[in-house]
Amino acid sequence: MRVDQSADAMTDPELRELCNRFFDALERRDIAAVEAIYAPDFSFWINLAGAESSREQNLKTLREGYALLRRRSYDDRTIDTFGTGFLARYSVNVVQHDGRRASFPACIVAQCKAGRITRIEEYMDSSRFRRPRPEAQ
Amino acid sequence: MTDGEIRELCKRFFDAYENRRIDELAEIYAPDCVIWHNVFNREMSGAENLAALPKSYGGQRRRTYDDRTINTFDGGFVIQYTLAGVQHNGHKGALWICIVALCRDGKITRIDEYMDSSKFAAWAGRPRDGEKRNEA
Repeated sequence: MRVDQSADAMTDPELRELCNRFFDALERRDIAAVEAIYAPDFSFWINLAGAESSREQNLKTLREGYALLRRRSYDDRTIDTFGTGFLARYSVNVVQHDGRRASFPACIVAQCKAGRITRIEEYMDSSRFRRPRPEAQ
Repeated sequence: MTDGEIRELCKRFFDAYENRRIDELAEIYAPDCVIWHNVFNREMSGAENLAALPKSYGGQRRRTYDDRTINTFDGGFVIQYTLAGVQHNGHKGALWICIVALCRDGKITRIDEYMDSSKFAAWAGRPRDGEKRNEA
């Protein structure tokens, strides 16, 4: 692994703590905590759209997205760190307001600096959104 | 493996894929190599993957693995890239893909691949489900 020797560089434990803090904040819908984690120049890219969005656009999407679902959790997290960031592979488990459930695997590659995330690139399969399962009895 | 060794293995792997060098890929996969794909959410062995490649390669005139961004971690690499394809009818398409590979003793032991299957139709120049082909 290449070592980032800049003053803003983060250690492996710092990157892992930041990664878990980020997913925990997303899970409990703590937008203030997510805002604190995103660097001022944060940018977001996802393979579904192929376009970048800004920090404010992404936070707006998160706020609006929470209203669409009863619950969303980020499970089975596998985290690896590299010189300037982390890779997280995980399962997104969602429960819709009518009780239907869906689960799909995803991964993000995050660039980090000085305790914050500066960029996220996310990969998933959108066809999984169309296959919700009925609520378990 | 060192950062340099892992990067070299990653480049060799993608160059072999691009050049349709199945013999080289067989050298790169460890005997116990497992390949998992997010679209199907199931695993296949390296041997199963190699056996499927001739038919897979036959689907396009050319494929290139471009815009490669590689980061290494202890025991592997993550690569983000654009898969550019030219179909036999000349249609060109691109997919954005991320692969996470675990490596050991100069070989790849596991690949996890992430992509969006809703882009497959556009990549291949086919109409999407529910769409009609716009033909002159």
